[in-house]
Amino acid sequence: MLQALEGVRVIEFSAGMAGPWIGRFMAYCGAEVIRVESANHPDVTRQYVPPWAPEMGTQPQLSPWFTDWNAGKRFIALDLTQPKAVELAKRIVAMCDVVVENYRSGVVDKLGLGYPELRRVRPDIIMFSSSGYGDSGPYNRYVTWGPNIEALAGLSKLSGFPERECTMTQYAYPDASSALHGLFAVMCALDYRRRTGQGQYINLSQLETTVSVIGHVMMDQLAHGREPQKLGNRSLHAAPHGCYRCKGEDSWCVIAVSDDSEWESFCNAVGEPEWIGDPRFATLSSRLEDVNELDQLVESWTASRTASEVMTTLQEAGVAAGVVQNAEDQMHRDPQLAARGFFEEIEHLKKGKVIATGIPLGLTGTPGRSGRAGAAVGQDNEYVFGRLLGMSPNEIRELVEAGAIETA
Amino acid sequence: MAAQRESALKGRRVLELADEKGAYCGKLLADMGADVVKIEPPGGDPTRHVPPFWHDEPHPDRSLFFLYMNTSKRGVTLDITRPEGQALFRRLASAADLVLETLPPGYLGSLGLGYETLREANPGLVLTSITGFGQTGPHKHFKCADIVASAVGGAMYVTGEEDDPPVTLAGSQAYVMASTFAAASSMMALYRSSISGEGQHVDISVEETTASVTHICGVGKWLDDGIIPRRSGTGLFASVPSGTYPCKDGMVYLMINRPLHWKALAGWINETTGNEEVLNPIFEGPSSNRQAYRDLLDVYISDLTCQFSVDEVYHEGQRRHIAFTPVNTASAAAQDPHLAARNYFIEVTDLGERSLRYPGAPYRHSETPWDIQRPAPSVGQHNGEVYRTELGVGGDDLRALEESGII
Repeated sequence: MLQALEGVRVIEFSAGMAGPWIGRFMAYCGAEVIRVESANHPDVTRQYVPPWAPEMGTQPQLSPWFTDWNAGKRFIALDLTQPKAVELAKRIVAMCDVVVENYRSGVVDKLGLGYPELRRVRPDIIMFSSSGYGDSGPYNRYVTWGPNIEALAGLSKLSGFPERECTMTQYAYPDASSALHGLFAVMCALDYRRRTGQGQYINLSQLETTVSVIGHVMMDQLAHGREPQKLGNRSLHAAPHGCYRCKGEDSWCVIAVSDDSEWESFCNAVGEPEWIGDPRFATLSSRLEDVNELDQLVESWTASRTASEVMTTLQEAGVAAGVVQNAEDQMHRDPQLAARGFFEEIEHLKKGKVIATGIPLGLTGTPGRSGRAGAAVGQDNEYVFGRLLGMSPNEIRELVEAGAIETA
Repeated sequence: MAAQRESALKGRRVLELADEKGAYCGKLLADMGADVVKIEPPGGDPTRHVPPFWHDEPHPDRSLFFLYMNTSKRGVTLDITRPEGQALFRRLASAADLVLETLPPGYLGSLGLGYETLREANPGLVLTSITGFGQTGPHKHFKCADIVASAVGGAMYVTGEEDDPPVTLAGSQAYVMASTFAAASSMMALYRSSISGEGQHVDISVEETTASVTHICGVGKWLDDGIIPRRSGTGLFASVPSGTYPCKDGMVYLMINRPLHWKALAGWINETTGNEEVLNPIFEGPSSNRQAYRDLLDVYISDLTCQFSVDEVYHEGQRRHIAFTPVNTASAAAQDPHLAARNYFIEVTDLGERSLRYPGAPYRHSETPWDIQRPAPSVGQHNGEVYRTELGVGGDDLRALEESGII
C-alpha cells in the first residue's frame, strides 16, 4: 500500500519547530516537502555549534534538532528579496497542495507571497500560517518563542507545586503542541478540498492553541471567576496520586490509584493489608482528605525500592505506576519502547546514521519512515529547479550568479 | 453559536468509545464539523464525574471537564458487553468513517468488535486506538494514567525547579497530546482511505506521543552532547538568557535566541541602569557564547525589570523586538486584550440554558471555520435520533432496549 500522503506536495517558508515539525510529519508519511531557506535569515538549527567540538564553529548540518524537525525534506535556497526568486517560489507553489509558513506575522505578505498572491498562481492552494499571536490583533507583530507562550497562556502559573510561583517545561511545549494542531488543521483542509475542490487559508495563533489545550482547566476561571486550583502531582479524583522518591539518585516513580478496588490491590501489593480498612484511607474521599499522610506512607514503601521495582510490582497488581524516565532511561531501560522500535535510525548525509525520537502516528497499514537527514542549504536546488520546474542548467546558473538562487 | 457555514469535516461520521485519553480527539473532529457520536455506557460516562463542577454542584451535566471536552458531539448510551449492544454497534460502524476507542488492547476484539471484524463490513473504516502503551509489546496491558504517561514519556523529568521533585503540567497534557496525534493521524488514514478504499488500524501509544512531544529533551540531543536534559527552573538550557524575571507587580518571561535580540536587550539595560559591563562584546553572538555567564546576566536583567511594571517591560521590550511576555494567571489570560480583540473566547448556551464562556478556536480556517455545533450532550440525549431515526429501530424496540439496559 502507498504511504498515507503519497502524491501530496508541500512547500515550507518556515523556521524553528512550530512550522517545520508539520512538514516533518508530512514527509514521514510520504508527502514531498520542499523547504525554502534564505541566507539572510538562517534558521536557528543552521547556527548550531557542536558542544563536543566548539572549535569547529557553526555546523549547518549537524544539529540533532535539525534532524528532528527536517529529516526527509527537500532543500532549496532563495533570496526572497529578489523578484526573480519570488517568481520561482510562486512557480513551485503552483505545483504544491499546501504551503506552511511560520515567519513573523506580515513577512510573507511583504515578500509578495501572501495568500491572495498565492491563490492567483494556484486557486485551490491550502496555505497554513502560524505565529505567536496570529495574523491580527494589537500585538500580532510581537516576538515570542514557545516558552513565552507557556507563560502568556497561563500554563506556567496553573502548573506545578502550589508553593512555586510558576512552572515551566524544558521542551518548548507550545511549539510542539501547535505544530500538531497545525498538522490536524491542514489535514482537515485537505479533506474539505478532496470533497469540494476548494482550498483555503488557515491561521494559527500559538497562544490560542495553548489556551485550547488547557481549556478544561480554564473553564473554572471562565465559569466562576476564580483561579483554578494548582495541584502539583495530585488529582482531585484519585488518591494516592503523585510522584514518589525511590532508591538512588534523582530516582522517582509515579503512582495513580483511582478507586477503592485499586487501593485494595495496592495495599496487598505493598504488603500492608491493614491499610485497606483503615478509616483514614478506606474510601477515595477519605484518602483525598488525608493526602499528606497518605503520600508519606506510600513513600515509606517506595523509598527503599528502585523505581523499576515499584513500577513492576504495582503494575503486576493492576495499579497504574510509571518510572520517571529521562532520555537515557528511555533509550536503554524501557523494554516497551525497545519492543516497539520507537527510536528510529535515520540516514544522515554527514554522520552516516543518527538515532532520533520516533514519529508515533501509529499508521499500521501505511507505516511512515524518515527520509535522509543532514541536508545542506540548497541541497536539492538541482532537483527542484531542474527536474520539477524543468529549468535548463543555464537558466539555473544565471539565477545563481544573480544571487536569486542561493547555494551552501 | 451554530452559524450557517461550511464545515471541513461535514459528512465524516465518527463513533467515539473514549475516556480521557481520547475525549479531546473527538472534540477536535467534532468542532471541525464531523458528526461525532459519543457512545457512553448506560447511565453515562465516568468522566461526567470529574471535578470541578459548575457552581461546585456534582451532576452528570455539570462537570467542566466533560462540558469542554465534548462540545459538538452527539451522545448515545450503549452496553457493548451484550450481544444486542454489539449488534447495534456493528450497524453503526458499518456506516462510519472512523471509530475512536481507548479500551485495553484486544478488548474490542474479545467482544467481536475488533478491526478485522469491522473492516469486513466496511473496508474503508479507520479504527483509531489510544492506549497508554500501545497495542503491542511487553507493557501493552499496563495500567495508565496521564501522570504515568508523563513520567515514562520523559515530560516530568524535565519540568519544574532543579531541586524539586519532577512535576506534571496542569490539565492532563499527555492525554491531550495523544488525542491531538490521534486526530491528525486519523485524518491521514482517512485521506488515504478516501483514495484507496482501504482503511487501517491506527495505534497510538500515550507513552510514545509524550516522548515525541518532548523530543527536544530526548535521545537526539543526549546522543549528541552526552548531557541528559533535566529540569532547571524557568530558563531554557540552550537559550541564554531565558527565564522569569521580577517586576514591580509580577513576573515577565524572557527568551533570547538571536544575537540581534541580545544587543537590543543589552542596550536597554545599559540605558536604564547605567550598567556598562553588559555591553561587553564577550556576551555577543549566539547563546552558547553567554552560557558561562548565565547567572550574572540574570542579575543584570533583574536590575532592569524590577524598575518597571509587567506591562511596561512587556510592551517596551516588544517595541525593541525583545521577546518579553507576562507570566499570566488564568485570570489574566482570560482577560488578555489581544485574545479579546481576536474574539478568541466564545459564549455557549447549553442545556440548562446557561451561557458560559468557552475557549475558542485553536486555528482559523477561512472557508470552513471551527465552530461549536452544540453543547456537550446529556446522557443518551441523541438515542432517539441515532437509534430510531437513523437505524430504524422501532419505538417499542427502543423501549425494550432501555428497559433491559442495552441503552
